Amino acid sequence: MKAVGARLPRYDGLAHVTGRTQYVADWSAPGMLACKGLRSPHHSARIVSIDTSRAEAHPGVRGVVTCKDIPKNVVGHLEALGVPADEPYFADGEVRYKGQLIAGVAAIDEATATAALDLIDVVYEERTPFLDIRKAFDPDAPKITEKGNVFFYDPYDHRKVTKGDVDAAFEKADVIVKGSYRPSAIEQAPIEPQGCLVVPESDGRLTVYTCTQAMYFTMGVLAEHLQRTPGSLKLVGGTVGGGFGGKVDSASEPCAALLALKTRKPVRWIFTREEEMLCGSVRASWHVEMADAISKDGWLLGRKVLTLHDAGAYTRFSSYGATKHSFHLAGAYTVPALRTRAYVVWSNHVPTTAMRGFGVTSASFAIEMQMTRGAHVLGMDPWEYRLKNANRPGDLMPTRKVLEDPSTIDTIQACAKAVGHPLSATYAEMKNEGRSGEWLPDHLRDQAADAKLGDPQGAAR
Amino acid sequence: MKHRGRGLAAIEYPTGMNQGGDPSQAWVKIKPDGRVDVFAGTVDLGQGSKTVHTQIVADTLGVPYETVNMDVSNTDSSPLCTGTFASRGTFIGGLAVLKAAKKAKEKMLEIAGQAMEIAPADLDVEDGVVFVKGSPDKKMTVGEVSAAATWGFGELITGTGAHLKAYSMPDPDTGVCDPDHAISYAACVVDVEVDDETGTVTVLSMVQAYDVGHAINPTLVEGQIEGGAMMGLGLGLLEASYPHYPSTEGRGGEFGAYLMPGLPDFPEITSVIVENPSADGPFGAKAIGEMANNAQGPAICAAIHDAVGVWVPQQPATPERVLRALHAKATGAGEPRRDGKTVIFDEDVSVMTLADESSVFRDVIGV
Repeated sequence: MKAVGARLPRYDGLAHVTGRTQYVADWSAPGMLACKGLRSPHHSARIVSIDTSRAEAHPGVRGVVTCKDIPKNVVGHLEALGVPADEPYFADGEVRYKGQLIAGVAAIDEATATAALDLIDVVYEERTPFLDIRKAFDPDAPKITEKGNVFFYDPYDHRKVTKGDVDAAFEKADVIVKGSYRPSAIEQAPIEPQGCLVVPESDGRLTVYTCTQAMYFTMGVLAEHLQRTPGSLKLVGGTVGGGFGGKVDSASEPCAALLALKTRKPVRWIFTREEEMLCGSVRASWHVEMADAISKDGWLLGRKVLTLHDAGAYTRFSSYGATKHSFHLAGAYTVPALRTRAYVVWSNHVPTTAMRGFGVTSASFAIEMQMTRGAHVLGMDPWEYRLKNANRPGDLMPTRKVLEDPSTIDTIQACAKAVGHPLSATYAEMKNEGRSGEWLPDHLRDQAADAKLGDPQGAAR
Repeated sequence: MKHRGRGLAAIEYPTGMNQGGDPSQAWVKIKPDGRVDVFAGTVDLGQGSKTVHTQIVADTLGVPYETVNMDVSNTDSSPLCTGTFASRGTFIGGLAVLKAAKKAKEKMLEIAGQAMEIAPADLDVEDGVVFVKGSPDKKMTVGEVSAAATWGFGELITGTGAHLKAYSMPDPDTGVCDPDHAISYAACVVDVEVDDETGTVTVLSMVQAYDVGHAINPTLVEGQIEGGAMMGLGLGLLEASYPHYPSTEGRGGEFGAYLMPGLPDFPEITSVIVENPSADGPFGAKAIGEMANNAQGPAICAAIHDAVGVWVPQQPATPERVLRALHAKATGAGEPRRDGKTVIFDEDVSVMTLADESSVFRDVIGV
């Protein structure tokens, strides 16, 4: 029997649904200490002083760590791809979001660790937070960093996609439709919250039981923070109670590892639901403004896009997400002329990160609203407007990548059939094949015209 | 009064980490009794990636699915995987285990060839039996071959594999690059009921078609489609970390204070799998994971417009937003502004209205 294509039951499904799967919170080790974190109560503040002496003297407390104890505090998740590190693991001199980690405590049990958090004395000097990303360049907006509120993509302060002659497309258009789209930040909301158990081994290595979605990624970041070789760490995991993108950032591991090294005891830190939801990263809020140049017979001739991505207090994966967003701003359609500008804006919201559909969910929302509105303004069937502009084999994506096996036409036709939506014969019989005849209008004849790198005309705009 | 409406959305989604540069590696070995162990770093988040990888290995080696064990438990025994994100597990992780299994198969046929005194090229494997092509009666079980390797030849049947697409740097001016492995597609149709007194939107049914290349496990693909639909329902109608964004007031710190869809919110759902195989994917697979929550939100907004004639360009389409839009429509304020051939929606939230006149944001779209 062939396994591929078969409806086999999930390998570990029965154990999951009968409660027999072991997750990080199910593991323990002899002599294990409980960890808790002190977090910022302010969106934005200067830290004047941190005094941990009362907490350290508290009965049952075995260790307290702050930014002074971590060998390397600022580590970037995407430094290897040239994204500068900007986020301290423990707040150092300032807090940029409510919930930012300031200190970690290891104690004999959770209640003692929690009680000790109140004994850490932090003096803050509150600042006005910056929250509305649309005002990032306003002269009176609070500044998140000395350089301002916008991430720098060398050599621009935004990610560009420039394709075809956009000005000519807008000139030629019979109708221009413009809208502004604001999808919300949401929680990844896995049932299993963030957590880890770090066990110092007799050979000097650390075993890190973790819920990470990416063991090697977390191993690399943790090794950097601790300034140890990755080989001195063994990550154990591989079975996760839901992630949805929220368990790619390293959250609990560095603090628990530092406390395990300091106390020479196993240390476990499982986030509370409140920490998971209020302090863990979320899907970003986005602001997308889109203008479509359309001919009266329903061809998409060009599109301009302004995207603002609310990164929250630090960059994490935001520059990656906004780039991915930019590459998918034509959606399931072929748009010959594009001018898109995506800005990653820092704010005093909780840092945002990956979540299912990272970067593209917001693009899809904006594009599909535009497609529905465009069809409405033209008085055209929204199914047929989409089919008319559908990707076809051989078409170019915004990146000029050639599409080999697109399925806009097949999936829309499959839905039309399933719900009994009446398509006119032209669209019901439309074939998912390369362009010819009426499906090869002049404006799609030479999609590769400006595919050469560094198109000077495009760059100037 | 309740009004019904229908909305459509169509989307595409890339496979693999954007711009590439994200390797996965795998290692396959066969125990002396013929059972197969697969080691890879690809974390299973509950979506079933271990199952899918096991299926790929079973068919590539030609052994029963039940005889394959997959271990993703730790970084000492499992080789590197960049991670389970970016819809990369089945495609990139899958290609790594597929290549490792191919190598192990070569080794298995080499050992079987020695044991049977036949050229490996004349042998094949199916259902755990190595046989001579054209004369299937001449055969050895995989267990017998592996025993021969262990006790007879002093060998280990094993294979390693990896997959990596080189990092592709986008041109900063044009965005030109080669950032993905494959593109998956989907279309989603929702039927809604909108209550114009309360602003409540109820999704009555959802029909979705997904092109996932080739479905390695259709049941798990449907699981992703349905799970993603639930999440899309949350995005479209309920969920917000900042209910009064950009203000931080009203954040919910527990499930009881954060609105998510529950099973009673789940509509009648129909999933259609469209198979348009990728030339490069394992057994023609593309991806399904992330895209599954992208189409429902805009389809719901289109359906709301179809039902009551108002636009909600913000997600989620809460009762408050729907009522505000209905109120604006009733007072004649909901119409877009027309300026020559340009039709401008949502002016109230645009940077053209809200950013300082000196802001560079105002130069990008210019309408």
